[in-house]
Amino acid sequence: MANTLRLYLTCIRNTLEAAMCLQNFPCQEVERHNKPEVELKTSPELLLNPVLICRNEAEKCLIETSINSIRISMKVKQADELENILAKKFLRFLSMRAEAFQVLRRKPVQGYDISFLITNYHCEDMHKHKLIDFIVQFMEDIDKEISELKLSVNTRGRLVATEFLKQFI
Amino acid sequence: MAAAAIHQFAECITCHAWSPDHSMIAFCPNNNEVHIYKFFTDKWEKLHVLSKHDQIVSGIDWSRSSNKIVTVSHDRNSYVWTQEGHDWVPTLVILKLNRAALCVQWSPKENKFAVGSGAKSVCICYYEQENNWWISKVVRKKHESSVTSVAWHPNNILLATTSTDGKCRVFSTFIKGVDTRGSHTSTSTDWKFGEQIAQLDLSSMWAFGVRWSPSGKTLAYAGHNSMIYFIDDVETSPAAQNLALRDLPLRDILFLSERTVIGVGFDCNPMIFSADETGLWSFVRYLDERKVTTSTSRASQLSEALGKLYGQSKQAASSDTVEPSKPRGGAHENCITIGW
Repeated sequence: MANTLRLYLTCIRNTLEAAMCLQNFPCQEVERHNKPEVELKTSPELLLNPVLICRNEAEKCLIETSINSIRISMKVKQADELENILAKKFLRFLSMRAEAFQVLRRKPVQGYDISFLITNYHCEDMHKHKLIDFIVQFMEDIDKEISELKLSVNTRGRLVATEFLKQFI
Repeated sequence: MAAAAIHQFAECITCHAWSPDHSMIAFCPNNNEVHIYKFFTDKWEKLHVLSKHDQIVSGIDWSRSSNKIVTVSHDRNSYVWTQEGHDWVPTLVILKLNRAALCVQWSPKENKFAVGSGAKSVCICYYEQENNWWISKVVRKKHESSVTSVAWHPNNILLATTSTDGKCRVFSTFIKGVDTRGSHTSTSTDWKFGEQIAQLDLSSMWAFGVRWSPSGKTLAYAGHNSMIYFIDDVETSPAAQNLALRDLPLRDILFLSERTVIGVGFDCNPMIFSADETGLWSFVRYLDERKVTTSTSRASQLSEALGKLYGQSKQAASSDTVEPSKPRGGAHENCITIGW
């Protein structure tokens, strides 16, 4: 792993560890409801200051915290148009299967590629450190995954072109 | 110090309370039920399941001398359970709240209890003999956000509350016909019901886990900015001490004596604080030796272990302290709630 990426991920991990102090908290506005405050944003006093961690302009991570939920949004590196398309398709594929991931948000926050929403219920069912591990692992793997996809697309393109051009020999 | 014993009752325990003799424990396994377990020589056995609420139970308190259990829930209701024969009989308390109830505590004399709620108000409930009914009086429009914790002063009149607006407030809960004028000190004779005695604005973040020291001289509460606050002489001339923590914020605290406090919270490891002769508070050490990384693995077990530990040390330490058992229950309660 590149040194800068490690620093970036360590920073995110430490921020998540400090921010993920969630508890069951019923809605103050609607009777008998219990909703993630970070999504509703009805009571400003229940929200904490959002933290933005940037590696560079293309890669950043926004952590928004409230009393019973935390939202982590990230922007994945997209160097060229091909990477852009690959990232879009890949993350869309994941978002459509959000139920299987439990903590994945079905729609990313505006300006970001993918968002996670962790509530106090997730923290009750799962271990906090495992959740953080998952998020960090995900961020680590997503770049790798997209470079691999890009490589395989390029290889395939080259193969197809070679096969096609053979007929003119 | 290692945990004295570990018992796994449920995956997640939201709140719990000990019986007066510490032989039984009532807890909510993160649903709408309250389970009561009793300790028989070598293991805990389930005796009762109290299921009357229809949303998660957020607070339980077991009165020390009258053997009553009060439970509050997110369904906005409260029940007082009295033991008749073998069974626990519920009495509904109409709280007059329109939001979830979050915390509950019996007053020292056990003729009243206080309920903090998400309706930004506090209910003081008392029993009316003529109607055989629990009456609720609401302190409204004093809090700007949900009330996270309530604590009774030993004089049975003053009530301290913490709220997610970051403030800690002290109220008078004098109720005519329930309290007598002579029952409290001379300065307090003209306090009316719901009168705000003090407002402490020390924390910039949500405040949790308010507690009075056994004598009522010191008030302590925790802030979500990883601070713990100690305030002396709240009614007359408040003097505050702030203590910043190195680790994750505390969720609840417990006075073991005038000079010793245990704090539990998101760090999953109880911390001991103590005051020296001059009244200066400082962090002493962690109660549990295990590293944070390992202790997070089974928070409910750990909290149960702590509960057990307190229960046992209670008997051992009863000679030099005079504290009521209720704040104890409160501490584990929140350790469990936030243990995850």
